[in-house]
Amino acid sequence: MSELEFKGYALTDPAAWNEFSLVSYPPKTFLADDVELAITHCGICGSDVHTLTQGWGGLSHLPLVVGHEIIGIVKRVGANVSEFKPGDRVGVGAQIASCMECKRCKSGNENYCMKMIDTYNDVYPDGVITQGGYSTAIRAHQQFVFHIPEAIASKDAATMLCAGLTVFSPLLRNDAGPGKKVGVIGIGGLGHYAVLFAKALGAEVYAFTHSPSKLDDAKKMGADHVISTHDDDFYKAYDGELDILISTIDVFRPDRPLKVYLSMLGVHGKFINVGLPDHNNPLPPMHAFDLQPNGAFIGGSHIGSKTECLEMLRVAAERGVKPWIEELPMSQAKVAIEAVRSGKVRYRYVLTQDIAPVQ
Amino acid sequence: MSNTIQFKGYALTGKYPRKWSDLQVLSYQPKTFQPDDVEIAITHCGVCGSDVHTLTQGWGKSKLPLVVGHEIVGKVVRVGDNVKDIKAGDRVGVGAQIGSCMHCKSCESDYENYCPKGIPTYNGEYPDGVISQGGYSTAIRAHQQFVFPIPHEIESRHAASMMCAGLTVYSPLKTHGAGPGKKVGVVGIGGLGHYAVLWAKAMGAEVYAFTHDSSKMDDIKKMGADHIDFHKPLSRALDLIISTRDVFDQNMSLDTYLSMLFVHGKFVTVGLPDANNVLPETHAFSFVPSGCFLGGSAIGSKKECLEMLDLARSKKIKPWIEEMPMCDVKKALEGVKQNKVRYRYILTQDIENK
Repeated sequence: MSELEFKGYALTDPAAWNEFSLVSYPPKTFLADDVELAITHCGICGSDVHTLTQGWGGLSHLPLVVGHEIIGIVKRVGANVSEFKPGDRVGVGAQIASCMECKRCKSGNENYCMKMIDTYNDVYPDGVITQGGYSTAIRAHQQFVFHIPEAIASKDAATMLCAGLTVFSPLLRNDAGPGKKVGVIGIGGLGHYAVLFAKALGAEVYAFTHSPSKLDDAKKMGADHVISTHDDDFYKAYDGELDILISTIDVFRPDRPLKVYLSMLGVHGKFINVGLPDHNNPLPPMHAFDLQPNGAFIGGSHIGSKTECLEMLRVAAERGVKPWIEELPMSQAKVAIEAVRSGKVRYRYVLTQDIAPVQ
Repeated sequence: MSNTIQFKGYALTGKYPRKWSDLQVLSYQPKTFQPDDVEIAITHCGVCGSDVHTLTQGWGKSKLPLVVGHEIVGKVVRVGDNVKDIKAGDRVGVGAQIGSCMHCKSCESDYENYCPKGIPTYNGEYPDGVISQGGYSTAIRAHQQFVFPIPHEIESRHAASMMCAGLTVYSPLKTHGAGPGKKVGVVGIGGLGHYAVLWAKAMGAEVYAFTHDSSKMDDIKKMGADHIDFHKPLSRALDLIISTRDVFDQNMSLDTYLSMLFVHGKFVTVGLPDANNVLPETHAFSFVPSGCFLGGSAIGSKKECLEMLDLARSKKIKPWIEEMPMCDVKKALEGVKQNKVRYRYILTQDIENK
């Protein structure tokens, strides 16, 4: 029996992407593996913008509450849940469920389950629409709920759950660490985390940005090398140097072919896209020849697994990794989301839930 | 020490009105012989898709007059003073690369095939300005790093096409883990593709062969492929796809292949289309469902070549070839261009007899 009211700041009119109305909505049917939490904080992700503006595709589930960088306090747990109890401080990220029985789920790859359910704008098998974290509460399968270490404040942990994990997973899976050279393209929400975590893991970090105002910040975040991509020849000095490139490019320019970035990789190096542009913005045209000079790879990555999320939080706690955030009450989501869209945020907004108090 | 070899080959002279496949015997100056070089009297040369792309100039302007051919087998006639492991009389092969700087990070880590200063066996330029001429000829000089001893058990006519086609698919198969428990797709069953099937089976992988040519089905079964599909959608199961596609149709999205990959699977293209044939438009989203990769591969290293030859020797692997005298090279080139070859033409050197 739930005492929590599920209410959130929702998009109701698709023609007004940045206007939110407070709505109540039915949560998912509570099941034995579920955890219910009262939300205290939610970060704003680029995904929220792409979804609300319909850059990623038309919206069919309205009203829609976005937000998938969630921190809250556990209020109740299902019969199968032993990892959590009421009162625990936990987080939820961009995924809320998976099938839990396929080859992928059983090999620590639940973030690649072909039956995965996204935290918002998705549908459960019983037809309930998933609603996100610009709200009072959420229910999630325990596999997608993460204890927050005491050493990390809620406002700092929130954005780790999508932005942090989305870059931490490929860094970890591609052995970012001592002796490795990691490039990060785009120093925004995800990009700044890539710098912070790549340093925390012991790698040498090259930060690439087109914003002159971010060069100093990137240095303070710990980047060993900071490069402005304004100069058309910016990549030439780094020919064959990097092991991995984490790309947070969100808009691909046709005059910057990918081979420009690939040339900075060593043999079989990887260019991993975590940026997901609008659906009408494909990768710049490529020829098979572009992939030859160093046998490099272009790839992608999707969030991360629970194991990786817990490892990320452990590393953050141990090494004192703190994101660069700006806080606002949740009722001012409009201000924040517009700033994200126009690239003004430094470097992540975190909304403090102000709809209903959390005991 | 023999200094009497005449370097003569079937060349595209560039003299109008010759067609791209009309070659004439021409004498030419070889590269300046250096202490690391091996000089080889050629007996066999395979015909590679690269030869067609270079002669038609689909890849770009070629340096004419030009002798192509980079699947070479022959007998060593002399070696430079620095050459210790190869001697006159040895039977050796040479592939698609003939030189590299030998001291960069790539060269020093068994990645000489990725040296930024690598010299291709033909249509390349040496530091002293000599243009590299290929194996549709009597002889060639190559740096010892690019000369591969052929095991006794492998006949010259079989070894020839291993030097490029074989190595070009062996390298990514080996590098990206083809072996027991792995599912490997091969797209396009031609010269390179058929080798990919043969090697991947020999390495213990489960092989899925993709072809648009139904006349090849029986052959592909005999080559050992476990599954033969005409682009039937496979749900995200493959660990590695080696694509030998030489022509990309803009209407067929790479998603067709990327969606066949398991988590972190790799689609590696070894097929190199003409310069005006780009990859189909791709969106970053295509890489998300499986965190998969799209990449390329360039030939292979000496280390990989020797491993490959040892695999061929120990498992008695023979390519599917058609032989003809080198004077019939036009027929062979046209046959490759029209996809008639089953599955590699091997030219027997006959210029000395002219």
